[in-house]
Amino acid sequence: MIHFYHVTKRFDAYSTALHDVTFHIEKGEFVFLTGPSGAGKSTLLKLILRQMRPTEGQIVVNGRNLNAMKRSHLPYFRREIGMVFQDFKLIERMTIFENLSFILTAIGLSAKEHKKKAYGALRAVNLQHKINYYPLQLSGGEQQRVAIARALINDPLMLIADEPTGNLDPDLAQEVLEIFSDANLRGSTVLLATHDRDLIQRSHRRVIALDHGRIVDEKPATAEKPAARGESMFVNWS
Amino acid sequence: MNEQIPSNILVYFFREAFRRIWVSKRSSFVAVAMIAISLLIVGAFLLISENLGRAVTIAQGKSRVEIYLANDANPSQIAAVDRYLAGHREFARRRFVSRDEALRRFSSYFTNLDPIVRQLDGNPFPPSFECDVAPNSVQSATFAREVNEVRAIAGVDDVQFDWEWVRRLKRVVNVINIVGLVAGGILALAAAFTIANVIRLTMMLYREEIEIMRLVGATERIIRGPFLVEGLLQGILGSLLALILLFTAFLVARRLLPPANALVWSFLFNGFLPWQKIAALIAGGTIAGYFGSWLSVRESGEEPA
Ligand SMILES: Nc1ncnc2c1ncn2[C@@H]1O[C@H](COP(=O)(O)OP(=O)(O)O)[C@@H](O)[C@H]1O
Ligand SMILES: [Mg+2]
Repeated sequence: MIHFYHVTKRFDAYSTALHDVTFHIEKGEFVFLTGPSGAGKSTLLKLILRQMRPTEGQIVVNGRNLNAMKRSHLPYFRREIGMVFQDFKLIERMTIFENLSFILTAIGLSAKEHKKKAYGALRAVNLQHKINYYPLQLSGGEQQRVAIARALINDPLMLIADEPTGNLDPDLAQEVLEIFSDANLRGSTVLLATHDRDLIQRSHRRVIALDHGRIVDEKPATAEKPAARGESMFVNWS
Repeated sequence: MNEQIPSNILVYFFREAFRRIWVSKRSSFVAVAMIAISLLIVGAFLLISENLGRAVTIAQGKSRVEIYLANDANPSQIAAVDRYLAGHREFARRRFVSRDEALRRFSSYFTNLDPIVRQLDGNPFPPSFECDVAPNSVQSATFAREVNEVRAIAGVDDVQFDWEWVRRLKRVVNVINIVGLVAGGILALAAAFTIANVIRLTMMLYREEIEIMRLVGATERIIRGPFLVEGLLQGILGSLLALILLFTAFLVARRLLPPANALVWSFLFNGFLPWQKIAALIAGGTIAGYFGSWLSVRESGEEPA
């Protein structure tokens, strides 16, 4: 589903955010991307969404070579991906409901379906009672859950999240993890970037560890928790 | 990739556009005013040429030949001319204008010149015949020959055709039309650029939102829609404003100018624009607005690093 082949991303001559990164995530997998701050996690996720292009190497997502993808196809490609951004990217002048329904408008869903879908997505993150609030009236954790609800709203093929538990206390973090697990069971491929080691250890999922832009460690899912369908049991060293 | 735009997206375009115009009232007002001013100028020229044109049509409808007699033409000469006219079909609908009547007419048309006329010794106006000629017969060779024959009759000083000035007036109308269209076109272009800048400003204001829309998979068409509609609405508002101002000015001008004041003004303000020209003005404003917003959204579009 997500394939990186010798991907390097340099922002300038002195900083290399990613260095010769190769890995493969198959359909239906649930993978953690971890590493200290500045390791290149956000950069890697941005490359998947084609928010930026790699300096070198090839990226294939959902069967599409991102280097070769036409700009006119980009919106349709992105609709398959539910992205939880590190900075949430909620629109402040819109209510929570509008923040969610606006995506559905963008992808051309009829207004009738908006209420139902938005309500369902908010219930999944336990925020249905805040549907008419504005983002700035919510706490950081609540905004984060709204961002998650928005990513989930259209049952995306891939769910990608950048530090989705960063603003949550441990209990809530665990709850959010359950939400991602449910989405994974419904068929979404999940890639979570986090530096929360506890969270990773408790979940027994496959882990890709980055440091200074290089993959320094890869652990397959451990047997304690049954692996989701199709999950790769093998380390993909290149 | 050619998606249909469902109706709820059009609703979204219009709702967003209205909201954005409202949020940036001041710059929207400038854009609307620019459109209104340029269309007001085009409209004023159109209105004048329209009324002149109408006068031309009326004048053409009853083309008139004026046969001026010598000041000292004696009654038997006048009778001879009258006989000739009566005997020829083209000139048969004739009317004799005596010297006194000519003077009276002049004074009533040009009241402000009356004191000058009074100071003259005697009456400078010659007697004349006015003949209403069928417009289609004036082109004929017979008519040209008969005009020459009239000229040759003793006591006839000159023969003048009204369609000479009609032709000249037509040329004036054409010039007014061209000047109006050129000036208006330039102004409308300026207005379009103003709108482009206003929209560019709005896009700056919303660039974060636009970025988010792109990241969640909105097509450029959906992103640009509200901006295009914003320009469109500004254009429509501007042209409606221009029409309201023009109509008000028209009514005021007609009210303020006393009918006796002059022939010229009374036919300049005879009627307002026909609906076709009103529609054309609105279309012009709408196109200018749309063109302006198209100019600014065309430049947008991401190409990530
Ligand atoms: N737009 C950018 N321009 C320049 N350097 C950047 C940019 N984005 C990230 N970097 C650099 O790339 C490295 C990796 O950053 P990032 O991917 O955000 O790490 P992480 O998400 O793991 O904390 C950092 O050294 C960061 O300073
Ligand atoms: Mg990061």
